[in-house]
Amino acid sequence: MDTKQGRQNELYLQAAAEFGPALVRLAGVYESDHDKQRDLLQDIHFALWRSFAGFSGQCSLRTWVYRVAHNASISSRIRRRRATMLTLDEIADMPALNDVENEAGELRALERLRTLIRRLKPPDDQVMLLYLEDADAGTIGEITGLSPRAVATRIHRLKALLAKQFHDRANA
Amino acid sequence: MSDVKALWQNQTVEEKEMITLSDIRDRAHKFQSRIRWRNVALYVYSAFNIAASFWLILSGRLVAYRYPMLLMIGAHLFVLWQVNRRIGARPLPEELAARTALDHHRSELERQRNALSNAWLWYIAPFMPALIWELAIRAITPNPNIPAFNNRIIVFYLVSGAIFFWTAVWLAFSRAALKLQLQLEQLKRVAAE
Repeated sequence: MDTKQGRQNELYLQAAAEFGPALVRLAGVYESDHDKQRDLLQDIHFALWRSFAGFSGQCSLRTWVYRVAHNASISSRIRRRRATMLTLDEIADMPALNDVENEAGELRALERLRTLIRRLKPPDDQVMLLYLEDADAGTIGEITGLSPRAVATRIHRLKALLAKQFHDRANA
Repeated sequence: MSDVKALWQNQTVEEKEMITLSDIRDRAHKFQSRIRWRNVALYVYSAFNIAASFWLILSGRLVAYRYPMLLMIGAHLFVLWQVNRRIGARPLPEELAARTALDHHRSELERQRNALSNAWLWYIAPFMPALIWELAIRAITPNPNIPAFNNRIIVFYLVSGAIFFWTAVWLAFSRAALKLQLQLEQLKRVAAE
């Protein structure tokens, strides 16, 4: 194994260790079927591993990983042509989800959250995912390509949407 | 709100969900073999078409149609190459990392929209010379065992069928391209915010 590939593997392993769980969560949103999730996750990791051949610190590791992961997921979604996604306005008009505390626990609440994100159109779904992963507005802008103002507006509306859909939990 | 974030971030990720370097090597292997098999399928399909057409030409069957058949073989090969080039291509890993999600989404949609909206040029037009040639031969050299009127009816149905089929193909491509265009317009609006 040459030094270049060694460095590529090293970067990949670091990214996989640091962001592996976040990538599983991302794949869980883009695909609802478990086998397809696993397939997409492998696609993302493969794209990530290949991408590190060209990584020389142009941006932070976090931005790089999320860009590759989101873009690989977009390509996969376009290939599968999934339909019926909604804008933030349309989804805000939907009836609120039941109080999650009255649901069958956190798993159910998580599945509802995934469903909510799945129904959002891009780039709202990407902003929501990155917001939930605790990315700041600057990082979200770097990954999605949205202006700082557009990111701020979206985060504000997403917070309102989450508050409406998960009101008890959000207000806790 | 941080509670929803905590709920999201603390969801259990099972050990078996994690991908190892050996999984990546397996994926790379599968990726390479998929490309190899796709190429093999392309070659087998082409070889079969060429062999069958040459057999028909050399065995003296359908003598009048030998040149349009050769042209049709060429059209098949050209279209296969174009399908592979335009639809099957995947973005390079460096493109995935260098583009923002908006740029990437837009370029993926544009690539597919261009492929679909130009389909008449690379998917339909290549078959037309051979098809028109074959229909012309059929019209000019009627079957002597069938009455002239019936011959004209057969040619009429063949031409109508061809027009109907290729128009349907063109409309399907155009509809898909229009849907992609609408998505692109929406992304442009988002990017302009």
